[in-house]
Amino acid sequence: MRSRFLAALAFAALVAAGCTPAANPQPIATSGVEPTGTVEFWHFFADREAAAIAEIIDDFRAKYPKVTVVVKDSQDDAKMLQAIGSGQGPDVGLSYSTDIVGKFCHTGAWVDLAPYIARDNIDLAKFPETVRSYTQYRGKRCAMPFLADTYGFYYNKTYLAEAGVTAPPKTLAELSDLAKRLTKRKPDGTIERAGFLPLWGFYEFSPSHFAPVANAKWLNADGTSAIGTDPAWQQVLRWQKELVDWYGYQNLEKFRASLGDEWSADHAFHKGQIAMMIDGEYRIAFLRDQAATLEFGTAPMPVLDQSRYGAGYVTGNVIGVSKHAKNPEAAWALIRYLTTDTGAIVKLANGIKNVPTTVDSLASADLKVDPEFKTFLDIFSHPQTSTTPPSAVGPAYQEQFTAFCDRWQSGNAKDLSGGLADVDKQINQLVQLAG
Amino acid sequence: MKRRHLVFVAEHSLAIALAVMFLAPLVFVVLTSFMTSDQQLTSQLWPRTWHPSNYAEAFAKTPLARYLLNTVLYAGSATLLMLLASVPAAYALAKLRWRGRTSMFIAIICVMMLPPQVTTVPLYLLWASWGLTGSLWPLILPLLAGDAFSIFLLRQFLVTIPDDYLDAARVDGAGEWRTLLRVVVPMAKPGIAAAALFQFFYAWNDYYGPLLYTSENESAWTLSLGLASFRTLHHVEWHLISAATLLTMLPIVVLFFFAQKAFVQGVTLTGVKG
Amino acid sequence: MSTASARRRQSWRRRLVVLSFVAPALAGLVLFLGYPLLTAVYFSFTRVDLVNPPQWVGLANWRFLLHDPNVRLAAGNTLWLVAVMVPARIVAGLLTAMLLNRVRHARGLYRTIFYLPALAPPVVATLAFVSLLKPGTGPVNTMLAKLGIEGPLWFNSPEWAKPSLVLLALWGVGDLMILFVAALLDVPAELYEAANLDGANAWQKFRFVTLPGISPVVLFAAVTGIIGTLQYFTQAAVAASVASGEATTGGGISSTFGYPEGSTFTYPLWLYVVGFRFNALGYANVLAVLLFVVAASVTMLMLRRFNAFAGSTR
Repeated sequence: MRSRFLAALAFAALVAAGCTPAANPQPIATSGVEPTGTVEFWHFFADREAAAIAEIIDDFRAKYPKVTVVVKDSQDDAKMLQAIGSGQGPDVGLSYSTDIVGKFCHTGAWVDLAPYIARDNIDLAKFPETVRSYTQYRGKRCAMPFLADTYGFYYNKTYLAEAGVTAPPKTLAELSDLAKRLTKRKPDGTIERAGFLPLWGFYEFSPSHFAPVANAKWLNADGTSAIGTDPAWQQVLRWQKELVDWYGYQNLEKFRASLGDEWSADHAFHKGQIAMMIDGEYRIAFLRDQAATLEFGTAPMPVLDQSRYGAGYVTGNVIGVSKHAKNPEAAWALIRYLTTDTGAIVKLANGIKNVPTTVDSLASADLKVDPEFKTFLDIFSHPQTSTTPPSAVGPAYQEQFTAFCDRWQSGNAKDLSGGLADVDKQINQLVQLAG
Repeated sequence: MKRRHLVFVAEHSLAIALAVMFLAPLVFVVLTSFMTSDQQLTSQLWPRTWHPSNYAEAFAKTPLARYLLNTVLYAGSATLLMLLASVPAAYALAKLRWRGRTSMFIAIICVMMLPPQVTTVPLYLLWASWGLTGSLWPLILPLLAGDAFSIFLLRQFLVTIPDDYLDAARVDGAGEWRTLLRVVVPMAKPGIAAAALFQFFYAWNDYYGPLLYTSENESAWTLSLGLASFRTLHHVEWHLISAATLLTMLPIVVLFFFAQKAFVQGVTLTGVKG
Repeated sequence: MSTASARRRQSWRRRLVVLSFVAPALAGLVLFLGYPLLTAVYFSFTRVDLVNPPQWVGLANWRFLLHDPNVRLAAGNTLWLVAVMVPARIVAGLLTAMLLNRVRHARGLYRTIFYLPALAPPVVATLAFVSLLKPGTGPVNTMLAKLGIEGPLWFNSPEWAKPSLVLLALWGVGDLMILFVAALLDVPAELYEAANLDGANAWQKFRFVTLPGISPVVLFAAVTGIIGTLQYFTQAAVAASVASGEATTGGGISSTFGYPEGSTFTYPLWLYVVGFRFNALGYANVLAVLLFVVAASVTMLMLRRFNAFAGSTR
């Protein structure tokens, strides 16, 4: 009786597990068809930013009166995936990071937009190459870029002036030098002010953001890890360790522990506890708001080899059409509007204070730009600016590597090349598991 | 005489010291709820300026009243259903003798052992196939089957009730249901009250359940979900979250304060001995 | 009528009575234990992504378990927490409950205050607690410095992070305390009277009257404590994010999990990351099944050892 019962359960589980609703393989319509129907749009913004998006959607509704858009805010990736997996969910989804592009393209959760792009003659050259690279995976373009964050270098002009320096450092060597000069210690040896805090994971200083500095490679063309075989990583890690050891790892950790939260008014840069740091373009608004008297400058990140100066890290929001969309034409119309209509993009960029993702919107006169913000726009368009590539294992390669970097900086991992080879192995094993 | 005084003072000093330690982080939340967004999470713990308007803003930004209603419905019906199903099951496990009792007891405990991250995937798919996602039903209906934690808890309480009382009732000709309702339940009030309160508070503060099943349908949101909406991409409005949290806690604190008298009714036994 | 058939009829009636008590719970077992468990076991042998049908991969996921360095770190952290947090909470809960039962005035008020932390939503509660203990901006180390003590880095120190999590758990011991209050009140008064007549002292009364009387609840606290700590997730995640200086309510904060130096990286955190962030959901089910097996073994051992299966004799 018991074994029959168990067998029935097993059968039910197999059936349920195997049953995922079939996709809607609608052939795409020919051009010239006016989109109609309902589109459900999920995004993760809340509060003031959700209001900014709502305005743009209203503009879209005015332009396409036959399309009904239902907007749901505060939805994140996990929720979207579960919903799509159960056959429901949004028609159009917006994600705050590029981590899911690999997975959504690979599994078909978001459809390949190439036919639509070709049919409507969307010129992909309007998007900088880096942006194109993080919206597609293995030839499938299942996402369009929404808005971007660019990362660069912030420095405290007052502190630099005290040391007789007017221009920010351009190379890693200059950065170390200046960091040491700008550091102040207390009589007991602990750090009072750090020129630069070189701990991985501190605020926005992470391997992911720093890779473009040395053109360090993450993945090979086949998706396996390139970290162990790229000498650039070893150079970056050795540079970082030298600076960490100069401060003393324990001193740094103690200092770091005493600093305020990154998203509070006690931010160490706001309070003048660090002189230089890596951060995104959004930091400008926070500085103006919370530290109005601080004289800060923005610049590209210092690089390993001077010829790369001007390059930075970019990441962005991505938007795609779900495989279960009931009105793919209407869904595509919405995405096309949000990602290629210059007016809409500029309005969004001004509203949410991010970087717009098309060449036209970058050049638009309506875009609110000031000198500090312009730095980031320039970084964004720089040809050597790069991003973290999409992968079927999401951010696994970044996080496994960062875990090693943590051990490296604390002195727990002593064998650099051996450790990196291990990291490669771990990542490759995970890639195998996730397909 | 002196010794009793000393003991009295010692006990109360200890109690007061503990009370201060238990309250301190909550005082932090209260203070944060009166701050400006700029001052939150900084080293200045005392609000520079006081903003009771944060509470009004929390109310204005989200329909807290509707979330409150949903939360009360969810917690209330979950608790009621849980009791209806769990008390009899616990009684059968504690006081009746039958084949398979031990296996079922083990199985009940095993329900708690599967990590929720993993059980939610197949269960979500199941509820989705029945079209019930986007509502609180996937969270309420399972309580018709009782709750493993509550059944276990109730069973442990019921086990402590001396059999003599049950034997007396049975000798008088009462069936098992009658014994349960007339004899056992009154004696098990502290345990039942504890289980009911735990279930109620768990549902009241449940975040991941409503997040999973109702996040796409704002009209079904509970207070805990509403708390999480005070954020933008790069900024969390902890001052508003603190205000909203205190508002969320207020009803259950009041409930607890008045309900904990049910624990005070200890079991007073007279007469029958084994 | 033969006595044999009368007895049979009686035993069937008896079975029906028992069934009427346990039927709903039994249905729940099928739906909430059987079904997810079987699905988990099945998924552990597949590559599954929730969008397409699962693909059978045999032992590939299980084999990775042997090579996975993260699982060793995560399991170690979780087991440490189980070994320390569970007994600490039980002892603390029992002691505070006993104190509460002795205090004569304002009992209701004290009970409510002691229970308040357990009533606070976990995310906000953890944020508040960790913020108070933050070395630079929180008041605790400042106060300790005034007493001449150099406070540790609490949640920012790899050595102190897990003990700090235990402190956090002790702060929230109110829920266990309430259980013990109820259990202590359930111990029949005349047993104490009889013990007094026999000349027992306080310790003997505790050992021979109180403990046996509350042992089912203590066992309950131990078992649910072990199971709950094996699944310790939210507080570890929030504490790490606050300590590393990036307090958020969620949305892709897994980069701060385990801060500092992986010391707060628990087994469920790794399960979540590898399954839902790294998309190796089949392997996540392997971890889940393994956790289930460990939890079940430990629990069975405990229940058997303490003879918890002896319910009533009727």
